[in-house]
Amino acid sequence: MSSSTQVVVLDNGGGLIKAGFGGERDPSTILPNCLYKPLTSKKWLHPNPINTPSSSSSSSSSEQDLTSASVRRPIDRGYLINPDLQRDIWSHLFTSILRINPSQSSLLLTQPLFTLPSIQHSLHQLVFEDFNFSSLFVADSPSLVHLYETSQRPNGLLSKAQCSLVVDSGFSFTHASPVFQNFTLNYAVKRIDLGGKALTNYLKELISFRSVNVMDETFIIDDVKENLCFVSVDVDKHLNLARKSGKDNVFKCSYVLPDGVTHTKGFVKYPEQASRYLADGKDDIGDHEEISKQQPQDNRHKVDLTKNEFDLTNERFLVPEMIFRPADLGMNQAGLPECIVRAVNACHPHLHPVLYESIILTGGSTLFPHFAERLEKELRPLVPDDYRVKIATQEDPLLGVWRGGSLLASSPDFDAMCVTKAEYEELANSHKWRLGEKVVGVANATSVQMESY
Amino acid sequence: MEEDGSNSNRRTSGRTRKVASKMVAALASSDNRTQAALARLDALENDNAGFEVVDPNLDDDEASLDDDDQVYMQRKQSKGTKRKTRQAKALEARKAPRTFLELLHDANLESLPPHVPTYWKAAVGPPSSTARRHFCTVCGFSANYTCVRCGVRFCSNRCQNVHNDTRCLKFVA
Repeated sequence: MSSSTQVVVLDNGGGLIKAGFGGERDPSTILPNCLYKPLTSKKWLHPNPINTPSSSSSSSSSEQDLTSASVRRPIDRGYLINPDLQRDIWSHLFTSILRINPSQSSLLLTQPLFTLPSIQHSLHQLVFEDFNFSSLFVADSPSLVHLYETSQRPNGLLSKAQCSLVVDSGFSFTHASPVFQNFTLNYAVKRIDLGGKALTNYLKELISFRSVNVMDETFIIDDVKENLCFVSVDVDKHLNLARKSGKDNVFKCSYVLPDGVTHTKGFVKYPEQASRYLADGKDDIGDHEEISKQQPQDNRHKVDLTKNEFDLTNERFLVPEMIFRPADLGMNQAGLPECIVRAVNACHPHLHPVLYESIILTGGSTLFPHFAERLEKELRPLVPDDYRVKIATQEDPLLGVWRGGSLLASSPDFDAMCVTKAEYEELANSHKWRLGEKVVGVANATSVQMESY
Repeated sequence: MEEDGSNSNRRTSGRTRKVASKMVAALASSDNRTQAALARLDALENDNAGFEVVDPNLDDDEASLDDDDQVYMQRKQSKGTKRKTRQAKALEARKAPRTFLELLHDANLESLPPHVPTYWKAAVGPPSSTARRHFCTVCGFSANYTCVRCGVRFCSNRCQNVHNDTRCLKFVA
């Protein structure tokens, strides 16, 4: 691939930036979209990229201490509010991680739905004026996810009907968006203002009220959430189970906070204990005995003194629960199942059966165990009897959007769909211009097949 | 002098902006408890925990401490007021990051014709059933009782005692 045709695919999420080159299967880097400042530093630092199987492990050699670090994010509630900060992060990304020359590459950038014109404007400025990309294509994530899934299953219902319902539960919010022939039907998109960030903050609040004050530990609690939280399939039953004491309580598990000396990262104390809930507490009393035998009994009493740890019980499932019932938090918003139903109902009635049958889950917050199960359980009663409900989880919910972008970028008509720098400069002064008009070209991409994998 | 004024103006503006968003919510409801609930929801979207502590960090790009800041300001002032053009002021105003809610307010989406899908119209809207489950703030199980002073939920006498001892009146004061 010559350098002049190189396409950089950038999924600029509120939590993580997924960046790489068009045509590849995995992004070259996944980078937290923030700057952080540890207590020991006066400067804001760039976080290390998160290791993917494909990326080299050289970057992880320098251990970063994220304890009590404060964070600055360029994105608030899903939308870019601080272009200066974003420029900082991007220039770090382009020069030291991806090592590209923007003026010789085109950029495929994801943009959240309903981006305000002023934010779009600042994004264009960033891309063309600050970084000098030769061309830009702005895509929205649901259509990319749809594109990727259709290419994965060329004979499935998804590709035959050319429509799907993409449920994207990310860092900043959760969207249910119907996609029809690679177009997101934006009049039907429904949004819940609740995503991974709010869940982490909620968990922080709960832990700080109940055991240790962790209000400053964004990164640690993120880790707690990712490792210990799960979606409960039957909340009432699980709440009763969580009430039990001692070994009978299958949900109880401890998390050890970093002490800054021997380990700088927190960890789950007994990982096998933490995953006991998967057995669901039905017929596995014997199982519990076995597991509790594995735990070093003598350790139990002294650990409290040497290490800083806290226990979690019902918090583990009450936190992700909020996506299903935001009203419990005091938000005046419907939960995810209802959100899906409303999104479908806003479409043409002919699409309803197909949409219910092709629900795709994507985004980091769908990674909670049992997410799809619970969603199906709650969605089924809301959907007319004669429609089938089928929920597909993506192979890798974090990367689904990026992979769709990579696919689109490798399609032959990609260049034709882009807005070039010259076009931008020509039209930048006339304020009527919107990049969206050029997006019509996406329709051609329907024919893109998986040549590359 | 003028420089000074504009600086202090900029300084306070950050704070008043923050306060302003809360005032709007506060004005919308006369009820203390609603205000507390709204403030809490707002806090869930914060990056850093400190409710107001975040602001100084967000305000200046150079992450300078007070001393450096003073020096920086003085140096800036000594350059004379002549160079303070309108453009420079605009630049400075642009530098202060604005929250998404302010941008949203500026976009004036209400003025668009009703058939155009916008950020506001994409929100799911209220749930069909108003039944809200309440969880005990102390232990997390379903809570049947409400604190008469602050409206927070608790489930039992034991939790009530913990609540009264440690966190009651937290928001109302």
